Amino acid sequence: MDSFFYLVILAGAVAGAGTGLLGVYIIGMRMPFIGICISHSAMVGSIYSILLGVNPVYGPVVFSAACSMSLGAIRPGKSRLDANVALAILFNLMLGLTFLGIGLMRGSRSEVLGLLWGSLLFVDRSNVVIITIFALIFVCFAGLFNKELKSLMFSRTIASATGVHEAFVYCIFLALCGAILAVNLPLVGGLLIFSLITCPAAAAYQICTGHRSVVLAATAFGTASAVVGFLVSYYLDLPTGACIVIVSTLIFAVCASYRALGRKHN
Amino acid sequence: MTRGCLSLSNVKVHRGARTILDVEAMEIREDEFVGIIGTNGAGKTTLLKVCCGLIGADSGTVRFDGRDFHQFSAWRKANLRRRIGYIPQAAEYNTELPFTLRELVAMGRTSVKGLLSRLNRKDYEIIDDWIDRLGLAEKRRQTFRSLSGGEQQKGLIARAMAQDPELLVLDEPCSNLDFNWKYQITELIDRLHRETDLTVLMVSHETSQLPPACGRVVLLHEGSVLADGDIEKILESDEFERAYKCRSETLKIAGRRYTFQKGSD
Repeated sequence: MDSFFYLVILAGAVAGAGTGLLGVYIIGMRMPFIGICISHSAMVGSIYSILLGVNPVYGPVVFSAACSMSLGAIRPGKSRLDANVALAILFNLMLGLTFLGIGLMRGSRSEVLGLLWGSLLFVDRSNVVIITIFALIFVCFAGLFNKELKSLMFSRTIASATGVHEAFVYCIFLALCGAILAVNLPLVGGLLIFSLITCPAAAAYQICTGHRSVVLAATAFGTASAVVGFLVSYYLDLPTGACIVIVSTLIFAVCASYRALGRKHN
Repeated sequence: MTRGCLSLSNVKVHRGARTILDVEAMEIREDEFVGIIGTNGAGKTTLLKVCCGLIGADSGTVRFDGRDFHQFSAWRKANLRRRIGYIPQAAEYNTELPFTLRELVAMGRTSVKGLLSRLNRKDYEIIDDWIDRLGLAEKRRQTFRSLSGGEQQKGLIARAMAQDPELLVLDEPCSNLDFNWKYQITELIDRLHRETDLTVLMVSHETSQLPPACGRVVLLHEGSVLADGDIEKILESDEFERAYKCRSETLKIAGRRYTFQKGSD
């Protein structure tokens, strides 16, 4: 294997671990749709950055942060709109803006299609550094606000009623969500990132007991999905994104079967 | 100093053009056990949420320990709510997560400790003490989702108590439980109220689930307080029959009140 591919594997491992960890909280808060919604808002940011000729790094971060922060306005017990319905509406808007942006584009659209599917094979060292930094920021956040995040996952209503500063923690969480998805977008793409957020975390929730084991398992499953998926695609000469999605889904299927067949006290 | 007192005056909550809650005056004193009853849609849960500041009143004042919720910023309001234990209906929490029972009870210490501080040995002593006191010691390491409905309810009560609240707010804590568990949970709430100086506010559809310690009920009807006072008198009152649109009879057995329908109005 060419030494360049080690960088690809490293990038995949970091992206898989970061999104796997993020997924623990996204799935725990029962809002898996947030992944695809924010990744599309990041895509809108990228497309319009390309259209306006500004640095394509800023657009996704600004758009996805704005999109995720707007979800923070939905307060438990106060808002009559369910968070998932708001996500669906926001997703529709982002999808509309995406296709409008693509329609307005002149010339080659390969750059935009790359955002949809990702281009792990065109990764460079700076990409790996950026996604690693953001993954580490999220690890610090999850560590510092561990008890608040657990309370939020169990029930935002109880957390809010009993004096947990849930709005503060939730808003930081959403902003970080947006930032992580935005920086991972060029590598893994808007569609693949959704499977990396949902499958590893959902698999971990099937078989683990206790929050710490869920965090460790989801991070490991995310890493394994990306690395094994890439190796399968490399040796069998298959599309990388598709292999990663299938591996992550298989991990979930194995974990779900394990829970269904065996564990009674889980 | 008063602990866990609530005072509502001229509180109104609107949904569009409709007024869903209209409470002229309601005082809940320290160490009191107040039941809230009423038909479906009478505004019971809305009243509970207003009392713990989850829903802001469109007009009027809600005071907790003499302090008006409205006058505080969101941050300080949260600090005030640290002294409120809240047990909502099952739809409000996620039972599918693999939190262990101990992790769940530990969540009760979250707001008490505040941001950026970790739970220490003393916190875990409090957590384990409540798990033991509620008879859940053997289930400590089991996941919350693997417990029976009654055990889950006990776990939620342990979580609320680990918070060391002054006011405990319960929204139909016995719904979806079998009759034995209903009895056990009611007994437990009764015991906690007697053993601690806790003020309790509890919504219940069935009068039999209001424990003997509950000496006062607030009867809500279409968002307004139809009657407020001694539980025995209210269950025998015309207002009670008017609210439920039926003739009723209440029997008192071992300190509990069982209400039966005698026929339509």
